[in-house]
Amino acid sequence: MDNVIFIISTILTVGGALCVLLTKNVMHACVYLLTCLLGVAGLYVTLGADFVAATQLAVYVGGVVILMVFAVMLTGGPNSQSSNKFGIVKIPMMGNAKTYIIGIISAVIFGLMAYKVLSRVITSIQAGEAPVFTETVEKIGFMLVTDHVLAFEISSVLLLGALVGAAIIARPKRGV
Amino acid sequence: MNNTIVSYLSQFESYKGLLESFSSLFGEAGPGLLTFLVFLIGCILVVTVMATIGGLGTYAERKISADMQARMGPNRVGPYGLLQFLADGVKMFLKEDITPNTADKFIFGLAPLLALVGVFGTLAVLPFSSGFTLSNLNVGVFYLIGIGSLVGVAIFLGGYASNSKWSMLGGMRGASQIISYEIPVVLSLMAIVLMSGSLNFGGLVGAQGGLPQEWFIFHNPFTFIGFFVFFIGALAETNRAPFDLPEAESELVSGYHTEYSGMRFAFFALAEYIEVFVVCGVGAAAFLGGYKVPFNLGGEGIIGQVLQVLVFFGKTLALYYLVIMIRWTYPRLRVDQLMTLCWKYLTPMAIFNLIGCALWIYLLDSKSMWDMLAAFVGSMGTGGGH
Repeated sequence: MDNVIFIISTILTVGGALCVLLTKNVMHACVYLLTCLLGVAGLYVTLGADFVAATQLAVYVGGVVILMVFAVMLTGGPNSQSSNKFGIVKIPMMGNAKTYIIGIISAVIFGLMAYKVLSRVITSIQAGEAPVFTETVEKIGFMLVTDHVLAFEISSVLLLGALVGAAIIARPKRGV
Repeated sequence: MNNTIVSYLSQFESYKGLLESFSSLFGEAGPGLLTFLVFLIGCILVVTVMATIGGLGTYAERKISADMQARMGPNRVGPYGLLQFLADGVKMFLKEDITPNTADKFIFGLAPLLALVGVFGTLAVLPFSSGFTLSNLNVGVFYLIGIGSLVGVAIFLGGYASNSKWSMLGGMRGASQIISYEIPVVLSLMAIVLMSGSLNFGGLVGAQGGLPQEWFIFHNPFTFIGFFVFFIGALAETNRAPFDLPEAESELVSGYHTEYSGMRFAFFALAEYIEVFVVCGVGAAAFLGGYKVPFNLGGEGIIGQVLQVLVFFGKTLALYYLVIMIRWTYPRLRVDQLMTLCWKYLTPMAIFNLIGCALWIYLLDSKSMWDMLAAFVGSMGTGGGH
C-alpha cells in the first residue's frame, strides 16, 4: 500500500517540477510549483516524517507560494512589448547556440565527475526497508531545545530581524 | 501509530470477522483492501454530510438574517423552505458556465477546485467523536493549518485569473487577510496545545472534560481571552463579516468570485460555508470540550459515540449560529482597520496569552481556576470551624 502513496507523490513531484520548467507563463509555473511541493510533502509522509510533511504544507504551500504569486504579480509590468495578456513579461530565450553548447558540455563533464564520486554508492545501492512509523513531534521538540538550541535561537533572531526589517521598509517615510 | 477510524473499529468482534472473510477472499491484500474500504466509506460519509451542512448553511444564513430583519426568508420549497438549497443547487448546475475571454483559463478553472480541496482536506482530522475521527494525526493541528491555507491560495488565484479589477482587488485583500490573521489564530491555538501537551485533536479534547468548568476556555484567564482572539481571527480567516472585505458587495461587486458563475461559483460558496463549519469545529474542540459528553454518559460504546457526535455538532452549530448572527449585526471594517486590528491588537494579545499560559503551567502546575477556587473554598470551610 505504501508504494501507491510513493508513486502518486513521485508523479506529483517530478511532473510538477517538469511543468515548472516547461511552461512559459510565470503564474502557471507558480501553480505547478504548488503541486511539486505537495508531492514532496507526500514523500515525507512515506518516509514517516509526519511533522516535516505538515511543516512543508504550512510553510511552502500556504506561505511561500502565495508570496511568490504576489511578487510575480507586483513586478510584472504591463508596458513591456514582450508581455503577455496578463501583463507578465514572457521568458526570453536564455542565450544563443554557443551558450547552449558550453552548457551541455559542462553538464556532461560535471555529471561524469559526480558519477565517479558516487559510483560506489550507486552500484551498491539496495532497496531499504521503510522506517517503522514513530511519533516524531516530541523528539523534534526535545532536540530543538537541547542539542540544537543554538541553531534554534540563531534562526529565531534571524526571523525577528526579518520582521523588524519588513516593518521598517513598510513604514511611511517622515518628511517626504 | 495514529488513531484512525479503522483502529477504533478493529476492537469489535464483527470487524475481526469481516477482516477474516476479506483475508480468505482476497488473500494477502485483504486487510489493506478492508482498510481502504472503511476509509472510503468514512470519507464519502463525511464529505456528503459536510456538503449538506454547507448547503443548509446558506439556508440558515438567509433564514436567520430574515429573522433578524423581521422578514420571512425562503419559505416556498419544501417545509419551511428547507429544500431551498437543493433548488439553488439545481439552478447552479443548469446555469451557463461563463469563462471571461481574457481570463487565464487554466487557473480560472483550477481555483474553485483548490478551494474545495483545501477545505475537504481539513475534514480528515476534525474530531467528530473519540472513535469517528477519520485520522487522529499526531500533527493534526499543524496539518489543519497547513492544508487550510490552500483556500487562501485559491482565493488569490481566482481573483487573479478572472482578469477583472474587482476580482483582483478582492483576491489581494483575501490573500493578505488570510496570511495576517493566521498568526493570532495559530498563536492562540498554540496556547491550547501547550496546555494539553499534544498536537493531535484527540489529545486536545482528551485533556478537557464534559462540564463547562473543565473546558479550556474556563481553564484560566488567558485561555478565556484566547478563545475570543481565536474566534475573531477565525471570522477573518473565513472571510466572514465584519471581515468580508474580499467579497465586499458594496465596493467590489462580489470580490474574488465576481466573474464566476454556475458550478464554479457554487464551489467557492460551498467551500466558504464548510470552512466556517470546520473553523467552528476546531474552536469547539480546542476550547469548548469538543465531543466530551457531560458525566461521560453513554460510555465508550456505540451509544456513547452517537452522543459524542451529537455534542460535537451541537457545540459547533452553536458557534455557527453566532458567526451568522455577527454577520448580520456588524458593519464591515475598512482595510486599514482590518490590518490594525490584526497586527496591533490581536497578535500582541495572542502572544501575551501564550506567555501567560506558559507561566500558568510553570508556576501554578497547570491547575484550572476552578480547582484552585474549590481548594480555596474547601480550606476556608475547614478552617472556619462553624
